[in-house]
Amino acid sequence: MMTSRDDCSAAQALAGAIALGEASDSERDRYRAHLAGCAHCVNELGGERELERVMAVVVQARDDERWEPDIRKALARRHAPRRAWSWAATFAVAVIVVAGFLAGEKKPQATAPQHTVSAKDVRAIAALDTQTAPRREGRAESLVVGSAVPVTTAFAVSVDQRGIPLRCSITKSSGYSAVDRAVCRAALQVHYRPPSHH
Amino acid sequence: MQRDVEACSGTDRTAIAQARTESLVLEYQTKLGRYLRRMVGDAEVALDLTQEVFLSAYRMLQADPQRELTAGWLYRAATNGAISFLRRKRILRMLPLDREIDRNTWRVDERSAASVDLQVALGKLPPDQSAALLLTSYAGYSSTEAATMLGTTSSAVRQRVCRAMRILRTIMREGME
Repeated sequence: MMTSRDDCSAAQALAGAIALGEASDSERDRYRAHLAGCAHCVNELGGERELERVMAVVVQARDDERWEPDIRKALARRHAPRRAWSWAATFAVAVIVVAGFLAGEKKPQATAPQHTVSAKDVRAIAALDTQTAPRREGRAESLVVGSAVPVTTAFAVSVDQRGIPLRCSITKSSGYSAVDRAVCRAALQVHYRPPSHH
Repeated sequence: MQRDVEACSGTDRTAIAQARTESLVLEYQTKLGRYLRRMVGDAEVALDLTQEVFLSAYRMLQADPQRELTAGWLYRAATNGAISFLRRKRILRMLPLDREIDRNTWRVDERSAASVDLQVALGKLPPDQSAALLLTSYAGYSSTEAATMLGTTSSAVRQRVCRAMRILRTIMREGME
């Protein structure tokens, strides 16, 4: 029996359907009938058993799959250089001894108590700050750490009657806006001694 | 309803788009990631491509927060991403700087004979055939559903599956010898 190229291409579709478990009984019959007259397809495609055996390999591979992709972890990993910098910035801010000028809401106090911003507070704040800081600033910051020069930032905080900080302004910049911002953020996290009433 | 949507402020849109993308990620990142890793044969690339899919889903939802995004849409985007990656790779392979895809990224627990056989076969298939094989037997869609995703007929998908299996069969035979 002669078979045309069209028959063989139809047989391929039938073989695919059988492998996928989608073939109806009549489609299986048609496939068997084609193979009976086409040695080429017997050799190339194989019988139903053969198709199912090969498909079992695919199914087995699928069942063996253990990979749990996590695109968020992947994103964090990809930004590793940036994250490394945020630790560097934390360090830079942590070694700063900040001269703080504690001011009343309206009238600035004459005394200027020294505040050392604790590393614990600053770490959280600096990390927060570095997430929003542009990369360009990031490079400048890591230079500060590299040269191991402590920088000083002077700031003034306005506090209300309960000692809750209201506003922070930088009175002397460290020269690095990211550091200044982080310091101000940290300063606003501290609870202050309420201003004394005269 | 339409008016409500139009009244949506930019912030609302972004919030809705974020929340919907979030739930798509939770539901589909494993399926899409695994599908893409089989397509491209590399975990890092698969992660990149998976991110791309969710990023374009997010952009789509930001423009139209009510838009329905089906699994079919995600798989179609994933398939297109994989095919264009493979095309680029094939062009770059002609250059001397070619870097062979690292098979070591396949973890030990996935190095079953079946897993390796399948990956070797997939590496030799044209992408339209591997996509047809993976969307059906691997991702679990019918040939009709896969046909919609690939923009072809179910008969063509079945043919591609058949051709893909022919290669797989040859590789299995070689492995046994």
